[in-house]
Amino acid sequence: MVTGSVASWIGLLLATAPPAIILTAAWLRTSFAERRSYRMLRDVLSEPEYHQLVKQDYLEVPSPSLPERVYRIPRQPGRVAVYEHGERVMELCLQPVKPLPPGDLVVMHKLLIQANEEAYLKTANHFRPGIYTFPAPPLMLWY
Amino acid sequence: MGMLRVLSQRGDDTVTWNSEKAEQGDPEAVAAVREAERIFAETRARGGTAYVVGRERPPVQIEQFDPQADQIVMVPRVIGG
Repeated sequence: MVTGSVASWIGLLLATAPPAIILTAAWLRTSFAERRSYRMLRDVLSEPEYHQLVKQDYLEVPSPSLPERVYRIPRQPGRVAVYEHGERVMELCLQPVKPLPPGDLVVMHKLLIQANEEAYLKTANHFRPGIYTFPAPPLMLWY
Repeated sequence: MGMLRVLSQRGDDTVTWNSEKAEQGDPEAVAAVREAERIFAETRARGGTAYVVGRERPPVQIEQFDPQADQIVMVPRVIGG
């Protein structure tokens, strides 16, 4: 009776341990990557930019070519919204071929827009505002 | 000090070097510059782009590795999503 009970506990442990280890390892990797990516944000963004991102959950980058245009980069992965004269006129979807943590995605959009806006617009897919697409899976599931 | 940061799923991979020492021929500094140059070329060959960045100035895209730059950030190849 006791032997059977011990055996069933060992069986349960053996069945649940591998997925638990895999999930914990993935979570540790993800949180380490996210911590590093936020350090990168601190290094690349100016103080007002960083505060805007933290407070408002997005970073606004003025268009280098059109004074009336502003790109709004979300803090979490998602489309970049384009505003002209304060009105949302389109959404842009552009992603790296390899997954990046959220902070690095913000840096990526900012660098591409500011350094080569034309190439950014050419590469990104354009959507009318409000068109729904499936959200990207969380970073942890990419590994 | 120069720094090359490549955005990756681990956060970012970083190589640092001392450009002054490298210019004076310090073997360790020269090796660090060569390593950064190799990573730069490898990332560019895979479609990545490179930018010289600073907190208070707009980023500048570069095609050639610049050992004098304070900070270079490399972005992997991007596609429309």
